[in-house]
Amino acid sequence: MTYRRRAFLGGLAAGAGSLALPRISMGAPLANVRELGVLRVGLYTNNRPWSWEEGGKVMGIDADIARAVAESFGVRTDLALFPADEEVSDDLRNVVWRGGLLGFRKCDVMMHVPFDRTFAAQEDQVVILAPYYHEGFGAACSPGMAECEGTPTEFRGKRLAAEIDSIPDFYLIGSFGGILRPDVTHYTTGFEAVAAVKSGEADLAVATDAQIESALANAPGEGKRRKGPLPAMLSPGWDIGIAVDEKSRSLGFAIEEEMDAMMADGRMAEIFARYGVTWRPANAVAPNA
Amino acid sequence: MKGRFKTLAVALAASCAAMGAPAVADNHAGPTMNDLLNDANSTGDVLTYGMGPWQQRYSKLNMVNTETVNRLVPVFSASLGGEKQRGQEAQPIVYDGTIYVTGSYSRMFAFDAKTGEKKWEYNARLPDGIMPCCDVVNRGAAIHGDKIIFATLDAHLVALNRETGKVIWNKEIGDYKAGYSATAAPIIAKDMVITGNSGGEFGIVGAVQARDVNTGELIWDRPTIEGHMGTLRGKDNGISGKTNATWEGDLWKTGGGATWLGGTYDPGTNLVYFGTGNPAPWNSHLRPGDNLYTSATVAIDVDTGKIKWYYQTTPHDGWDFDGVNEFIPFDATMNGKKMQLGAKADRNGYFYVLDRTNGKFIGAHKFVMQTTWADGIDQKTGRPNFTSDGRPGAPTGADKGEVVFASPSFLGGKNWMPMAYSQDTGLFYIPSNDWGMDIWNEPIAYKKGAAYLGAGFTIKPIADDHIGALRAMDPKTGKIVWEAKNPAPLWGGVLATGGNLVFTGTPEGYLKAFDAKTGQELWKFQTGSGVVGSPVTWEDGGEQYVAVMSGWGGAVPLWGGEVAKTFKDISQGGSLWVFKLYNQ
Repeated sequence: MTYRRRAFLGGLAAGAGSLALPRISMGAPLANVRELGVLRVGLYTNNRPWSWEEGGKVMGIDADIARAVAESFGVRTDLALFPADEEVSDDLRNVVWRGGLLGFRKCDVMMHVPFDRTFAAQEDQVVILAPYYHEGFGAACSPGMAECEGTPTEFRGKRLAAEIDSIPDFYLIGSFGGILRPDVTHYTTGFEAVAAVKSGEADLAVATDAQIESALANAPGEGKRRKGPLPAMLSPGWDIGIAVDEKSRSLGFAIEEEMDAMMADGRMAEIFARYGVTWRPANAVAPNA
Repeated sequence: MKGRFKTLAVALAASCAAMGAPAVADNHAGPTMNDLLNDANSTGDVLTYGMGPWQQRYSKLNMVNTETVNRLVPVFSASLGGEKQRGQEAQPIVYDGTIYVTGSYSRMFAFDAKTGEKKWEYNARLPDGIMPCCDVVNRGAAIHGDKIIFATLDAHLVALNRETGKVIWNKEIGDYKAGYSATAAPIIAKDMVITGNSGGEFGIVGAVQARDVNTGELIWDRPTIEGHMGTLRGKDNGISGKTNATWEGDLWKTGGGATWLGGTYDPGTNLVYFGTGNPAPWNSHLRPGDNLYTSATVAIDVDTGKIKWYYQTTPHDGWDFDGVNEFIPFDATMNGKKMQLGAKADRNGYFYVLDRTNGKFIGAHKFVMQTTWADGIDQKTGRPNFTSDGRPGAPTGADKGEVVFASPSFLGGKNWMPMAYSQDTGLFYIPSNDWGMDIWNEPIAYKKGAAYLGAGFTIKPIADDHIGALRAMDPKTGKIVWEAKNPAPLWGGVLATGGNLVFTGTPEGYLKAFDAKTGQELWKFQTGSGVVGSPVTWEDGGEQYVAVMSGWGGAVPLWGGEVAKTFKDISQGGSLWVFKLYNQ
């Protein structure tokens, strides 16, 4: 498999073409990283299985991808966990192009950024590139839940779990006339919602594919995955990539090249497998897409 | 209960007798609780946020008046220095020849009140990586005895020695990692520091907390969302309201209702009044019910930490209005009857008058140009007459939802900036803004790296010639007596004085004085950056002083759109300005 460069070049791409624009130095940011010997990577805090802290160590798929990329550059990583703001747009401002108001230093690159043409067009301060996974929503059930594959109206009266203020939350409390609303218990993360199913606290959880697979693989207890899609789910799924400052695109391209290589030679799938997650190539780079 | 009330009344009377007395020579021990209760009458100092426990922001001083104000000139300007030139929303505290101000980024300064020389500076050490949701402002300090106390962006309450700036105690009042922060000025009642809480993170729950002023130890905690247990001296103290009465499922556990603007205090009824923020989640269709006690005012007994009454200004808030605005006690004769009242100019665009002893609705009137969400407040029930098409719709996830125009915008007919009440004119002076918003469901939204159903907003002006308007409201009739328009949105507090003057600042950089009766602009001074702080006045050595912070910032510049045209060229800053009359 080979992968084409698929960066969304922010506001510049929308212009009259790069020829009309002043030449941007392609060398400096990547050279800076090499010179300083460190790649500063922004990772969502408490976002298992992608990035979280455990026993003083930063764990997760995104953290391991960042380490592998830095290793290929011959530099070390500075993994900066940051709390999610109201929307990803705010995170890009805090982490990629401006920095926090209270001294949070901006990062060379941020992982786990939605790779979406419409979204990227709004974010002209950053370049979003290197799509590396396709995410979606699903459900996990306790082993004995007979209605696991049924229509959601059959979930009524069951103990339902979802991450607070997320699409799984809105799906359960808002869809089907709100009849499931009294049955929903909220958790801080989707991973915890699925873990609650395994520990016997809940009967069914709605979460992302990665959260479901990693919690089914790693949280204590028993649980199973719903095989069928959830009807009337509010999102069809989305690709995930990385973001760099619009002025650092040379660095972004170098990271993308390395991540392409990781996807081609199986290292990417291996990192996902460490956390119990099946690697699904992004739609944007899937062969024959 | 009765006995306690009586004791307090006596204490009040005693302190009233001392009113107007010049500051005594030896102030080493610092102001007492009685001094704080008397702050509205003592003209030689400014001891409380709001210039008195009622926070009327009124001083009877009249040396600076409609005749003399044109001779008001700066005495000094003192810089808060450094790179932290952003968002100075503080009100100064003045005591014993010292002016205390809090600065943005959780800083406190003490300046010599006569010369402006800096006595000390305290910089809270904030944790790495902290990202407060809503700018880096601080609104002021509380003084008591040897301590000057303020709240920090990482949700700590810090008591400093007022003479040295050294820390006496430092208590965590919320977990910043869970999204809690703090920007409001603490208030003091019965030797307790009383604070609200704030945070932008989803999942926080509003609360009011009282602490021992000497140690910072928690005395009581009162959650402002129904279903949550309060505490008193470490023991359960009853839940707020009745679980699931106005919320479905477990949504009350993360219901919002942050008390981020602090409160006012009425020694007479022994109540503190705190406004509460909007409910969560933002999409109101997901949380049927009134969602108590969000977007409301709650009255809490100072001794027991229990809610005595509440009044909800925006039941089932779907516009992010909040109900945090200050509830200011005042006494007036209504329909021939002497009444203990309180007034609140709400974010939702209505000015409410309530009986402050029991929360009973007396009246509500619009103080902004337009309220699309409601057509008046029902005089019988005190509930809004919701318009049929004024509520933003439920997102479907399929495509961009219908655009609803709503006014006021979510920044409110009046935001955080406190109004003033003149005991001479009987009018409230409201720093208001006329603006609306387009609001729609945004199907292509992302949160924490995942697909999300967000809302899109664009704030826009609704008039050609202004957004801001300082308005004089007659609380008895609900009539706007006068208004003074301003191009940029008003974002600073107001001060009324016995000199028939009303002072307020503008983002354009001016501190202005208006005739309290007519609204005629009589004086202005350019401070070099936007004024978003609250002015104060006091006397010293037979002269009247006026002080205000200058330094543009706060929430307004965080939002762009058409509104930004009115302030995009304003420079940031960070200075205390002090004025007095020029005598030839």
